[in-house]
Amino acid sequence: MIRPAALVGLAICGWLLAVLILGSGYELRLMALAAASALMAIGYQLVFGQAGALSLAQGACFAIGAYGASILSRLGWPLWAELPATVLVPAVLAGLAHAPVRRLDGHFFALATLGFAVLVRLVAVDAQGLTGGANGLVGVPAFGRGPGAMLVGWGVVGLAAALALWLKRGGNGPALALVRGDADLARASGLDPARIRARGFVLAAGFAGAGGALQAHVLGLVSPDVADFQVMVGCLAMVVIGGRGSVAGAVLGALLIGHLPEWLRPLGASYRIAYGLGLFACLLVAPAGLIGALERIWPSRRTIGAPTPSPAAPARRTLRIEGLEKSYGGIAVLRGVTLEIRPGEIVGLIGPNGSGKTTLVNLISGLDRPDRGTIRLGDRPLERLSPDRIALAGVARSFQSPAPPVGMTPLDLVTAALAAKVGCVGFGAAAALDPLHRQAEGLLRRSPSSDIARALALDPAILLLDEPAAGLDADERDRLASLLRALADEGRGLLVVEHDMAFLMRLADRVAVLLDGRIARVGTAAEVRADPVVRAAYLGPAAC
Amino acid sequence: MLRLDQVEIRRGGAIGFALDRGITVLLGPNGAGKTELLEAIMGLRRPCAGSIRFDGTDIGRWTPERRARAGIGWCPEGRRVFPGLSVGENLELVARTSRAERRRRLDRVLDHLPTLRDRLGVAAWTLSGGQQQMLAIGRALMTAPRLLLLDEPSRGLAPMLVADLFQLLRRLADDGLIVLLAEQAVAAALQIADRGLVLERGGLRASGTADEIRSHAALERSLLG
Amino acid sequence: MPAELTTLAQLLLNGLALGAAYALVALGFVLILNATGAINFAQGDMVMLGGYAAVALARVLPISGLVLLPLVMLAMAGFGLLFSLLAWRPFRHRPPIFGLLATVALGLTLQEAMNAVEGAAPQAGPTLLGTGEIRFGPLGLSRASLGILIAGLVLGLAQAWLLGRTQFGRRLRASAQDSVTARALGIPVDRLIAASFMLAAALAGAVGLLLSGPYFVTPTTGNDLILRAYIAVTIGGWGSLKGAVVGALLIALFESVVAGYASSVVATAALYGAVLLLLVVRPAGLFPALLGRRA
Repeated sequence: MIRPAALVGLAICGWLLAVLILGSGYELRLMALAAASALMAIGYQLVFGQAGALSLAQGACFAIGAYGASILSRLGWPLWAELPATVLVPAVLAGLAHAPVRRLDGHFFALATLGFAVLVRLVAVDAQGLTGGANGLVGVPAFGRGPGAMLVGWGVVGLAAALALWLKRGGNGPALALVRGDADLARASGLDPARIRARGFVLAAGFAGAGGALQAHVLGLVSPDVADFQVMVGCLAMVVIGGRGSVAGAVLGALLIGHLPEWLRPLGASYRIAYGLGLFACLLVAPAGLIGALERIWPSRRTIGAPTPSPAAPARRTLRIEGLEKSYGGIAVLRGVTLEIRPGEIVGLIGPNGSGKTTLVNLISGLDRPDRGTIRLGDRPLERLSPDRIALAGVARSFQSPAPPVGMTPLDLVTAALAAKVGCVGFGAAAALDPLHRQAEGLLRRSPSSDIARALALDPAILLLDEPAAGLDADERDRLASLLRALADEGRGLLVVEHDMAFLMRLADRVAVLLDGRIARVGTAAEVRADPVVRAAYLGPAAC
Repeated sequence: MLRLDQVEIRRGGAIGFALDRGITVLLGPNGAGKTELLEAIMGLRRPCAGSIRFDGTDIGRWTPERRARAGIGWCPEGRRVFPGLSVGENLELVARTSRAERRRRLDRVLDHLPTLRDRLGVAAWTLSGGQQQMLAIGRALMTAPRLLLLDEPSRGLAPMLVADLFQLLRRLADDGLIVLLAEQAVAAALQIADRGLVLERGGLRASGTADEIRSHAALERSLLG
Repeated sequence: MPAELTTLAQLLLNGLALGAAYALVALGFVLILNATGAINFAQGDMVMLGGYAAVALARVLPISGLVLLPLVMLAMAGFGLLFSLLAWRPFRHRPPIFGLLATVALGLTLQEAMNAVEGAAPQAGPTLLGTGEIRFGPLGLSRASLGILIAGLVLGLAQAWLLGRTQFGRRLRASAQDSVTARALGIPVDRLIAASFMLAAALAGAVGLLLSGPYFVTPTTGNDLILRAYIAVTIGGWGSLKGAVVGALLIALFESVVAGYASSVVATAALYGAVLLLLVVRPAGLFPALLGRRA
């Protein structure tokens, strides 16, 4: 079953061929310029489509490439030296621009890229000596009339598309989808969204630089118009209309937007209104772009082979928590929690609502930092590590709301975690998808929920489960109980936060009771059940 | 006045009961579905099946705003006062009446909750847990409800405050307010309640008068396993 | 006053007027941000639309800018309602990027539409207090700038009153802080969101008129303004109204002074440099938002 993207790719090749054979000089040139835009769009797809970050600097990087090519070729640089420079310079500058906002949220990133774009435009317009100021630079060595420009341009696009596809191959796909869909869940699965965004941004800049260089050589000149915000908006339109996240979509979008002025010429000056309206209509009706719409009509089915057997025994390590304290806004939630979870044992954690159970799990898994106290896995301290490092170190947690983020299937979710564990973080280093899929399938069959399967994918030494029995019926509970027992028998340590007492009573080796921010009692299930302090907490003082 | 028929907040669990006066306590361990049930009655959540009737009308399709306007008061888990607004603003903004009527209601509410009277200008986020709970109740009362839904109001409060809180609810119920109260402070709640409902895993395990529920084996089993 | 101080004071005074305009744009931006959680990239273009509305009305009605101001604001409020139906309603259940992109698309459409209808040549709008300059000792202030300052103050205070002292304002703030609970208490959150858009558009319209006299209107007038608003809200504290005003004033004063001593190019570059520095040092801004509740 051929995927729609591949069909679109074929159609594009057909279109190119038609223009090559039948097109006028003007049309050939239009195609060559579309190739330049396609390079920019393919790159943008890496940061916006894949990493899910709204960068507003792609047009600026395109401009840097165009100016770079013009300046260097006028200085007499040979082509083989000039081209790498036009790719590297924007990439390096992008990396520098990203550094200050690396750890910050999306809207800071957007602002930083916006600032970058404004500065680039300023330099283009005002640095007379370097960029020729408002007049730009002419006399850039250019392709002549004829098919040369188009052939070279689309040849480069072909290479770029292949590179982009290589960068997002294999396990990358689901991992990036998870980063886009839910950053916290991604971190809990061993992925670092900040690093992925940084890489996507720098790679995108390189692609844009190449596109700008191509345009400069097609036109034979460069002017400050290339640094206008129009270019950025056009790039955004290309990727949204073509299909966010798809290389074929980026190319398709570039071709459509590139030819729009021609097709709408009869409308006169108002043709550009079609731009905005088209983009709006696309957002409304086809949010996943044209490729997405096609994929909805012809979804591709995945066939997965037989699941691989479970991996070898995990490392056996003890989790030691000592004196953990945490306050929020002056209110002390945890007042000194000390607990140990040994390999092979299931520890239940109970306590009335508001006693701090979820806070404890959040602290161990790294979503928050304790005010005081230590958390050690074996001898390794975990309190200062980020959630993704903790997940990869061997402490995995499940969440109370088990559904995968919108647009991801359970298989994608588990595959993402597997990919993170195997070490493919971001672009370029990817594990082959099929074995990951098979492993994911096996995990999903074993687990009652996709979230638990995702946690298991990280092959944890310690598993933290936040109310795993919630919403399950009797049969599913039995299955869950046997799964948890089996996991413990494999040598893992489990901490199970639960309210369902019956479930814990027959499962847990030990039960810890969290009352008022401290562990009030630890013992077997029967001991805890009969303890007067515990009974008072649950049933009221009268019931002892 | 409130009637639930075969309501499923989770597949497999059917909940049905009717309330028309007094204080009814909703008990059960967490994860049993107490919050979900209250949210379903308020319209913040869609049950999988069943009907919810208020004064005889099926309100299943009504938005939360409409249900509030029809007389259902809301006091959610965690208080959820509007943090950036003052106590007075929190109270006044929910009243959808003329200014004069608003002032009258405010006076009556402050009579019930005197600790708020001195703090009208204070920002809500600076209040203690207990004061915020009082504010949340006061805010719900300002909507002039006929049925008041409360989700674990005693959580995080000192026992003496809990006693005051429950005494207030008893007084309001005696004045004619119907109260449906989800609670984990079992003993204290049952002392002021007229009726009890025990939820477990999304289904109704037991229902009866407060006395019946207090000694019901099902309650102990569901809480302690 | 010694000459250097006079120059500085003059630059600050000029910057203040521009800052008042920026502040109004930033206020509109924050209103929508607080109501919907989404960034309105078309806020600047709404200012541009207001400017053209002022130009068009001034052509037809030979009355002073002062009387035109409420008319333009009213018309723009109507536009704001339409805008909310296009940019917010269809996308409110989708991830926030859609709403953002929708505002980009609509802003772009507005720009191109005005380009097609009115052309790219700058057009002069009505003035509020007439032309010319008023002197305060060694300092001078153009009447236009004075008009902006006064209008900015009046509108700013009116907005503060609206948000701080009316039921409408309280409900708006409450919905921004917790829309789910607000709904459960009977507050018509959707209508309030539409009202936020209308208010933001009216403010934008006012700025459009105020700037159209001294600075003229072109289809791309909005681009610089949205950048300033975005920066103002970021350095002021994302979501803080006070912060947006302070941020806007700071930007205008900074730019005015640096442009006066160096050049406008240096001013813009220095502005972005300063913002990046601030992001490194204190990303939460000058008035950080309230700490979130922990479930």
